[in-house]
Amino acid sequence: MSDNKMMSTDPASVVYQRCTIDLATGRADFAAVPCRNLEDVLGGFGRSFQILAERDIACAYSPKNPLILNSGLLTGTSVMTGMRSYFSGYSPLKQSGTGRPGAMWSTGSGNFGNKFKWTGLDEVIFENRSETPVYAVLREGANGPEVELKPAGHLIGLTGHAKIMALAAEYPDAHFAAIGPAGENWQNNYMGAVVMSTDNELKSGEPKSRFAGRGGMGSLMGYKNLLAIVAQSPDKLQKITPEIRDVNRDILKSGGSARFQPTSQGGGGGTWANIEVLQVFHAVPLNNFRPKGCDNVERLFRDEVEKEFDVATEACHRCGIRCHNNLFHKNEDGSRGKLAAKFDFEPLILFGSNLGVHNPKEVCDLIHRCDLLGMDAISLGTTIAYLLDYNERHPEAPVLNGAVFGDYDKIAALIDGAGRGLYPELGRGVKRLSEALGETAYAMHVKGLELPAYLPDTNPGYIFAIAGGHMSMGTHMMLAKEGKHSLDEWVQAITTGGLLQVGYDMIGLCKFVGVGIGHDLIVRAVKEAAGLEIASADIVASVRRAYLRGLALELRQGFHEHEEYTLPSQVMDDPNHKVTLPKFITHDFLAQLRERVWSIFKPEMEGLLPVLEG
Amino acid sequence: MQIRIKLYASLRWKLFEEAEWECTPGQKIASIVEQLGLPRNDVGTVLVNGLHAAWDEMVQDGDVLSLLPRMGGG
Ligand code: SF4
Repeated sequence: MSDNKMMSTDPASVVYQRCTIDLATGRADFAAVPCRNLEDVLGGFGRSFQILAERDIACAYSPKNPLILNSGLLTGTSVMTGMRSYFSGYSPLKQSGTGRPGAMWSTGSGNFGNKFKWTGLDEVIFENRSETPVYAVLREGANGPEVELKPAGHLIGLTGHAKIMALAAEYPDAHFAAIGPAGENWQNNYMGAVVMSTDNELKSGEPKSRFAGRGGMGSLMGYKNLLAIVAQSPDKLQKITPEIRDVNRDILKSGGSARFQPTSQGGGGGTWANIEVLQVFHAVPLNNFRPKGCDNVERLFRDEVEKEFDVATEACHRCGIRCHNNLFHKNEDGSRGKLAAKFDFEPLILFGSNLGVHNPKEVCDLIHRCDLLGMDAISLGTTIAYLLDYNERHPEAPVLNGAVFGDYDKIAALIDGAGRGLYPELGRGVKRLSEALGETAYAMHVKGLELPAYLPDTNPGYIFAIAGGHMSMGTHMMLAKEGKHSLDEWVQAITTGGLLQVGYDMIGLCKFVGVGIGHDLIVRAVKEAAGLEIASADIVASVRRAYLRGLALELRQGFHEHEEYTLPSQVMDDPNHKVTLPKFITHDFLAQLRERVWSIFKPEMEGLLPVLEG
Repeated sequence: MQIRIKLYASLRWKLFEEAEWECTPGQKIASIVEQLGLPRNDVGTVLVNGLHAAWDEMVQDGDVLSLLPRMGGG
């Protein structure tokens, strides 16, 4: 991205590099595109959603649906965590009642984002689909970025990690984004993730990938017959000026990131600690989001797991937050053995207590299977939980392999089958499965996207999330943290701070930086690393517009503003009295919440979408 | 007067799981946390007898004060 190093009162003074690749013909067109507004400047979904808004897409698996890979303003800079890349498109999973798909983005770390940015590109739009399986090589050439499509027959059927390692043998100086078997089986699996390589993975050969999982962007990639993307460039590490050093120091010292740092560094040990905190209120999802007030989940507390595994905190490229908790088997002599799995709150709960599996070894194995097959852990875990619940309610007529809670072997078989496209009932997500079985009350999704590992009974904010429950509405822990449960407090949270959560999915940093998007730290980072002086209020206003554009796009795609902005009905009709937090979500509460939130949002949403021709 | 303090997750790993604690009548939660040597930033949630409480609330004899670390995710 080029700029005049001045305050961008005129966003058009900032120009980004786009490449449009027609997968049907192999043609690549490059363009220097002036930014239309601050959302374009900040990047990520703020930019990609404006492109999606220009298209009339009735079906996710259509050649007209683009897959957009882009970066954020701080991707590839020396600001700590600045390595995010974003995948956007209309989602096969998120679907309105009219059958039209919802726009989605998904993001991950690793070193792929850096390498992508260092090729000289800010955005690649993959149009149409290839007749045969290909992978794309994006590289820095002598005269600017170059693009090549290559046959990918040798990659078919490999796990995401194996694809990455096969390509790494061929492309030094590169990082990779690939799909696993789930994405290849896109017809039967709508929850394919994009698997992204890390330095640690390439060096160790162990599957320590990161994932852009939500919304089935890997399945969309599979539909396009695009099996992998190679980003090849020499490292172009930006000089760490004293100012950037100070920003990075402040990121590490800020209370916001401390909770994600290793315990050995004095931090909270990552999202894993959430289990113990939520268990204080018996609010850890158990057996399909239905805690029973028991202590089963305590086997998954960190100190319990450490008895059986060697826990190593690791990091993406040069990140001091070190949020990855990787579990290794212990050899008989006590030394570190093979990698067992990455252990974070979401997969840990969604493949553990929420499936009735409490043995850490078994949980590790289930997570590992899902990761290797390249599926979104949230979508798959939550869909399987529903199936187990259904089977428990219908012992006389169970479905698929008849698995019930705690049935580790059968659950493992379900994961393998879903990833290989053998269980479309699971691979197409919980909304479709529950509708087919005729029992939707306990299907844990909103707008077709499965819920993450925070109880819907504690978060009415889910209904206004635009790209996954906890990634795009920062209210998922408000009740447990602060005990707030009045209508006024929830309206306030959703319409102010909660929506700003998505700002990190524009600027190229991880949410684990942990400060508000308008924080001085962000303003300084943008100034020092991107050379742009953008006022905090302008950043906040731009993030708000980007969020509201996403919401407007949902309505345009046919999401019903009352019926589809709701929670699974079990929450309202059968409150769980084992959870010790206040029970305040009723049908009436949600109706009032919708009315008040829409009355604030709707006037602001006017004019944010382009008028579609025809 | 005496209260019971319960610590969770990273706070427990740093200090203790549960302990009886002597404090003065009218002592505020913030001052107890300071006595414990815990940086305020490390504590995300405060409960008294299971209910959310504010830093400047006072504890009563026999109360159970639970301190939870900051949570995060996403
Ligand atoms: S916060 Fe975690 S995911 Fe983000 S860059 Fe650092 S180590 Fe990677």
